[in-house]
Amino acid sequence: MTPIDTSIYAAVSAAIRAEAQRILTEGQVSAVVGYTAARRKGSAQPVVITDANDAARLIFTPACVNNLAVYLTKAKKEIPKKGRIGIVVKGCDLKALTGLMGESQLKREDLYLIGVPCAGVLASTFDPARELTADSIAPKCSECDAHLPQGCDFLPPQTPATPALDRKYAAEIARLEALTPQERWAYWKEQFAKCIKCYACRQVCPFCFCEQCLCDRNKPQMVETTPRPAGNTAWHIVRAMHLAGRCAGCAECERVCPMDIPLNLLNRKMAKELKELYDYEAGFEVNDKGPLTSFTEKDDQSFIK
Amino acid sequence: MSRIGVFICHCGENISRTVDVERVAQQVGRLPGVAFSTDYKYMCSDPGQNLLKNTIREQKLTHVVVAACSPRMHERTFRKAVEAAGLNPFLCEMANIREHCSWVHEDKEEATVKAVEIVGMMVERVKKNRVLPTITVPVTKRSLVIGGGIAGIQAALDIADCGHEVVLVEREPSIGGHMAQLSETFPTLDCSQCIMTPKMVDVANHPKIKLYTWSEIELVEGYIGNFQVTIKKKARSVDEDKCTGCGVCMEKCPVRKIPNKFDCNLGMRPAIYVPFPQAVPNTPVIDRENCIKFKTGKCGLCQKVCGPGAVDYEQEDRLIVEAVGAIVVATGFDLYTIDEKPKGSMIKGYGEFGHGKIPDVIDGMTFERLASASGPTGGRILRPSDGKEPKQIVFIQCIGSRAREKGISYCSKVCCMYTAKHTMLYHHKVHDGQAYVFFMDARTPGKSYDEFWRRSIEEEEAVYIRGMVSRLYQKGDKIVVQGSDIAVGVQVEIEADMVVLATAVQPQKGADTLAQKLGISYDKYNFYSEAHAKLRPVECATAGIYLAGACQGPKDIPETVSQASAAAAKVMALFSKDKLEREPIVARVREAGCVGCFACKKVCAYGAVEEKEIRDRQGNLIKVVAYVNPGVCGGCGTCQATCPSKSVELDGYTDEQIVAMIEAL
Repeated sequence: MTPIDTSIYAAVSAAIRAEAQRILTEGQVSAVVGYTAARRKGSAQPVVITDANDAARLIFTPACVNNLAVYLTKAKKEIPKKGRIGIVVKGCDLKALTGLMGESQLKREDLYLIGVPCAGVLASTFDPARELTADSIAPKCSECDAHLPQGCDFLPPQTPATPALDRKYAAEIARLEALTPQERWAYWKEQFAKCIKCYACRQVCPFCFCEQCLCDRNKPQMVETTPRPAGNTAWHIVRAMHLAGRCAGCAECERVCPMDIPLNLLNRKMAKELKELYDYEAGFEVNDKGPLTSFTEKDDQSFIK
Repeated sequence: MSRIGVFICHCGENISRTVDVERVAQQVGRLPGVAFSTDYKYMCSDPGQNLLKNTIREQKLTHVVVAACSPRMHERTFRKAVEAAGLNPFLCEMANIREHCSWVHEDKEEATVKAVEIVGMMVERVKKNRVLPTITVPVTKRSLVIGGGIAGIQAALDIADCGHEVVLVEREPSIGGHMAQLSETFPTLDCSQCIMTPKMVDVANHPKIKLYTWSEIELVEGYIGNFQVTIKKKARSVDEDKCTGCGVCMEKCPVRKIPNKFDCNLGMRPAIYVPFPQAVPNTPVIDRENCIKFKTGKCGLCQKVCGPGAVDYEQEDRLIVEAVGAIVVATGFDLYTIDEKPKGSMIKGYGEFGHGKIPDVIDGMTFERLASASGPTGGRILRPSDGKEPKQIVFIQCIGSRAREKGISYCSKVCCMYTAKHTMLYHHKVHDGQAYVFFMDARTPGKSYDEFWRRSIEEEEAVYIRGMVSRLYQKGDKIVVQGSDIAVGVQVEIEADMVVLATAVQPQKGADTLAQKLGISYDKYNFYSEAHAKLRPVECATAGIYLAGACQGPKDIPETVSQASAAAAKVMALFSKDKLEREPIVARVREAGCVGCFACKKVCAYGAVEEKEIRDRQGNLIKVVAYVNPGVCGGCGTCQATCPSKSVELDGYTDEQIVAMIEAL
């Protein structure tokens, strides 16, 4: 079990605290969204800080798994309505924010981005105090290409250790691609059969920002509501399609799924398709139009027969 | 409760041959909500429509399904009939049991079952149809005509004579186009300029025509009845209001040897010039690339000699916005340049024919300039190389045209006739000369056309050789033309003094760029596409934009003029109403669900989606949502397919209707 060096996190936490205190005191922001210690030993939870004195509560540890982007869109009740908002972002979270800016949900000038030099976070917070190792690290972190978020307003100077790890999603996608369509379908049918339609994946996803999800509409009923195979499959396909070209892989859906459905695997496969078809990767820049909302003559047209 | 009436059409035997229409009517009659069902021989006929109207009244029908041909064919017919009977026309739907069923199946039993299902789907759909009110949009009764050739001039004059303002935009310094370049015109041999210049002057003097020459279309926004067009008026360097057209500047200009494009580069012009003496407007333009003043800062002679002080070196390109209600596109054609192979083009060159390399191999338009009394030789046919009169001249037809392997498979339509004309003009001017024509076959349909062609052979002594030229090369001061005479089956070799190639007619360069600005479609050759090849030949699929002349496909002058007048008639029909009615098949945003991601705006091909702020009573911004401008919306439904929360729907094609159809299966 190779341990992963997270020794910089103490210094990173201190830098975040100092910066949060400064921008709150100077009135640059009306609130800072970050992480704070929760009750269990080693655990962390999201927090919204509006008082400069509370900035001391901010931390960054391997248990800071949440993508805080959702607190700026659908979970924004606790966020002050006026003023710029500071937010602590890992590289993966920043990609979500970038996507939200491209979809007119956020404006860059309304945000103060406090970046985190991140070596990785835990796959599960079942035991939040456990050490970060090649085994306990979130699979997304093993394939991370944004350990240092780019374009933040503030980024602590530390450099995270980024040892080469097994690329779990890539390996799993390769395994599934080698299967026959029937075998692959059998695999996903089994996965979707587990779904209990709790919609935790939807609630946690920064890109599921619709006020009324089409799955909740009944005139007409687009997706069957009960957790039966047909409706489950419809939901997961709708979800994968709606995230194609948008999801940058924060993998929150997979983390929160109580039935352990490999949801991010589906998202990564869609991302791979987009990369191969349109040489497009989501989350690196604010795009006016993504590949699925634009047409160029270079687009693949082999499907038209 | 719905009282749906279903009418099954036999379409003569088109449907009833393979579909048991009586059984379809019986079975559909049992569906819930269907109050009446019947079959009839021809629903689209007068008695058929009367049956529909009477039944609506007698049976108090609330919705109607007509099971017949494609809605493309008769949807309007039946919706009109339904409207006449007092129902909203959008409560009528068509079930296509001809193209989708009877025409594509052989087994009557299976086709009948399928027809029942198709009609059943439409019954379920029509239950969800809502009353849609007709949308009206105001009409700006001004027209834009793009291109000042004969097509544009004719269209502009026709519209302006009807009392509507016309904005005529021409890319070149003068209007007139290709027709002004021609010497005589077939089949009457009247002088092109003699019939053209009065029309050009009419345009210049018409109080309802606003003429922009040396100008290009920069941007087109808006929709039928309400276009905003940005025109780039290129710097002419001569003030059009002050210039009297005296021409002293042109006489004094020290740069004299610039090949004149109007004369196919045979004649020379100064750096400040009008392309030809009869130009409209008769205001010179400074060719800044060749002008000494613009190149070195010295000279300035034209400004010194200009009496009214019209020469203005400081003039800049200007952008002008014009509001118009209709657009006539008349950008015309260009000739295939065979020595040049445009990069990335599918069209291959004809290097083997020596055009551009052998000076006495010229194209048809160059011959026109040689034959023209106002041309560089004063109307004498002289070789460009040495100025001698050619005694043997060879015309070769179908250069570029009808040659799939070279990239163009269409016929350029005018070459047979103009080559016949060339042989005549040649014979009239060089009495002891001999003209030969290599041709595949002569295409001369048109009033007095075949007689004209026969005359070139029978009276004007042109020798027509059926066959193509394989090779030509320079030998001394002669051009040896080798070809085959397939009628006799022998090889032919002619030592010619001059060769004229009938090169293919192509759309103007930049035709595709203009089409993209206008939002109109074009074919693989960049010819503009009409809305329907037979029934809507002068309209574009984009409402409010009409086509005239060779920009749509090769055309001769009479055909171009007819089409220009037809386009003008369409514009005038549009302008005859103060408000324009349009089908209410447009997208509508359900604002409660919209979160303003504007995916719809990104995919909208019509630019119909706008941003709309929703505020509370105190004026605080709640959210920004999408809004579809119903005047602009084309009703394509792409937004509906794109919206992740299904918050935008196309009226007449709502998700509810589509799902109802699927569930009926």
